[in-house]
Amino acid sequence: MTKRVSKLARREFLKVSAAAGAVGALGTSGLFNQAFAASNTVNFMAWSAAVDLVKSHVAEFEKSIGIDVNYANAPWANYRDNIITKFVGGAPLDMMWVSDAWLPEFVDAGWIAPINKFDNLMKYNDEAEDFCNDSMTYKGQQYGLTYYTDFMAFLYDEQALKKAGISSPPTTWDEVTEQCLKIKAAGISEYPLMLALANESWLMNFLAAMVYSHGGRFTDEKGNAAMQSPTEGAIKALQWVIDAVHKHKIVSPACVEIGELTGLKAFQSGNHAFALEPKYRMRPINDPKQSQIAGRCKQVLMPSGDNGKHNTVGWMRFHGMSAATAANQAHAERTAKLIEWFGGRANGEYKFQKYLFTDIGAGFGVKPLFDDKDVQASYNSYADVDMIKAQQALALKSDVVTPWYGEWQETHASAWQAAILGQASAEDAMKKAGDKWNSLKKEFS
Amino acid sequence: MSIQPTTFERGSEKYRTKSVWSERGRSIAIFTATMVILIYVLAPVAWLVSSSFQSEVEIVSVPPHWIPQEPTLENFDAIFFQEFEEVTYETRRTVDPAAGGYIPSTAKDLLPSMWNSFIVSVSVVILNLLVGIPAAYAMAKIRFWGRQASIYTILTTRVIPDIALVVPFFLVIKNLGLLDHVMSLIITYLAITVPFTVFILVSYFESLPDELDKAARVDGCSRFQTMINIFLPLAVPSLVAVTLFAFLASWNEFLLALMFTQTIASQTLPIIVASFTSDFTISFSFINAAGVVAIIPPVIIAIFFERYIVSGLTAGAVKG
Repeated sequence: MTKRVSKLARREFLKVSAAAGAVGALGTSGLFNQAFAASNTVNFMAWSAAVDLVKSHVAEFEKSIGIDVNYANAPWANYRDNIITKFVGGAPLDMMWVSDAWLPEFVDAGWIAPINKFDNLMKYNDEAEDFCNDSMTYKGQQYGLTYYTDFMAFLYDEQALKKAGISSPPTTWDEVTEQCLKIKAAGISEYPLMLALANESWLMNFLAAMVYSHGGRFTDEKGNAAMQSPTEGAIKALQWVIDAVHKHKIVSPACVEIGELTGLKAFQSGNHAFALEPKYRMRPINDPKQSQIAGRCKQVLMPSGDNGKHNTVGWMRFHGMSAATAANQAHAERTAKLIEWFGGRANGEYKFQKYLFTDIGAGFGVKPLFDDKDVQASYNSYADVDMIKAQQALALKSDVVTPWYGEWQETHASAWQAAILGQASAEDAMKKAGDKWNSLKKEFS
Repeated sequence: MSIQPTTFERGSEKYRTKSVWSERGRSIAIFTATMVILIYVLAPVAWLVSSSFQSEVEIVSVPPHWIPQEPTLENFDAIFFQEFEEVTYETRRTVDPAAGGYIPSTAKDLLPSMWNSFIVSVSVVILNLLVGIPAAYAMAKIRFWGRQASIYTILTTRVIPDIALVVPFFLVIKNLGLLDHVMSLIITYLAITVPFTVFILVSYFESLPDELDKAARVDGCSRFQTMINIFLPLAVPSLVAVTLFAFLASWNEFLLALMFTQTIASQTLPIIVASFTSDFTISFSFINAAGVVAIIPPVIIAIFFERYIVSGLTAGAVKG
């Protein structure tokens, strides 16, 4: 054995190394993908939501329109990084899902293109919610067609309230405190209100809902920071959360580590009586296959603060086109057809938005669907469609969508979390966030 | 006449009794601490396994069911036996239980992605050894100009965070035409793992006496033969350590795989598992079943090489 091994010479070693490399290359070549091969293929990138529905809609597009689509997806949590790398690296990318929060950044970087010159896309504006059209518009240009829209809802467990002898859900944040204390005293829940305030992409929506419902805004009409003003709702909202955690102990101090998904599961398990959740979560919460409180979850208008009017925050996502694609007219037209197929009517109906709603409860931004009987029946099976309409009418567009949003949000989120953890006062936290906003605004302008 | 114990004997007996109790107390303390640490380490794994056999409604029970009351194989069935069918409006999976639950249709991608992970990890391990062993041997036993600088340069490359390398790597991979190809991962993972491999092996080779090297050379061995016949057999523990390191680093890597892969032709296990968590409809029990499947290969490898792991990782840490 030793003798045989000792004969192994350097050249043989190099041969083995080269062979191993070749085997590796050959072994994997069978897996080589044709993703970027065909130039007449539309490359479509999305986050991994409603994957089956997207696949089925793509398959129908290929069949009906005759254009091939290369559909790929990435997890939502990493999607933005992924797509930015592809933009920067010049990867083939024609149509992609875009969050309204990224619009100024993507436009200013020259990554996405306006769709104003495509009449087949712009004609759908009349049937879309104004809020959606506004959210897709930046510097007078529109950058896509809506994919879905939703808002932050205030939900409660009807049974928990009944057990605590509460006859009607709260209408103000003071009433939320009172009812939480009752529920806590009755031993029904240690922390009756579930707030998911971990530093993740959902955080801004939770904070905005709290601030808007307190009658506040983060910025004024000129786009300057208003959050540090004592008369605005931001400080009041933050102070309410601080008191809820430290004074009343009705919100868990661990809320700064609870993400939206974890919070959802905690609410589904019956650990809490109240929760702030995206509206579309009502469906899984009331699904007996997924939830311990199925059928008991109800929605009420977002509680109001001193100057509040039950406002909440709304958001939307849209189908966009890359700037590189727009530069090639033929390819841009192919891509526009796919955008229309998803964001407009497919064979005469808003099929994608409808199925997205009936399949998983994701909200739509096109008004005609409210008249669809399937949609109405679906809504009423787990929620009150009138309450949804009423709250949606009170949803406000986020006022912090700017090119510097991402950088500011780091400071802003830390400021909220520090205050909630007792490391700063509400005033100091909001002053820090406001100063950062104004400094970034100056820097970018 | 009774024999009374002397003061010394009584003291000695007391000491023995005290010593026995002290020993018992120590054993109990060690046992308790061991149990606490064991529970702390194993409880998440136990919950992972337990919840993978639970339905979604059972998984959110309060208090949690550590032993499933209504065990189900639905999750594993979706992973191992889901038949491929074209996704159409009619066959798409929805959240509606009547339509077949909300286990994603992409559950069938788990095994192919596992195969991709396996190919990438094994290739990275093999190439790591082929590149790392000669490099480490040369740096440890051959005195050449720039030797120390080479070692520090290799180590310095690992100071750069991976995220800073994503765009440069992406451009290289794109220009090589390897986007959405497992070769893109093999190439980039080598850049990450080889420096560690070399560092660990250099430390180990340096701990072996130079006399072995000299004796082999006197007996007529070439440098290459010395490395293969003398040093490699002695370096098995550290080779196992670097093998495990390279395998696990490749098996678990997420960031680069996310950037360079797009389809199941090249996507690895972490990407597919992560995609299950970000849909509108999420099944924790299914994700946990995927987690159970994902940890099987590393666990098997760890068990197989268990006796070499600690000695390999500490090898060269203390130089006499």
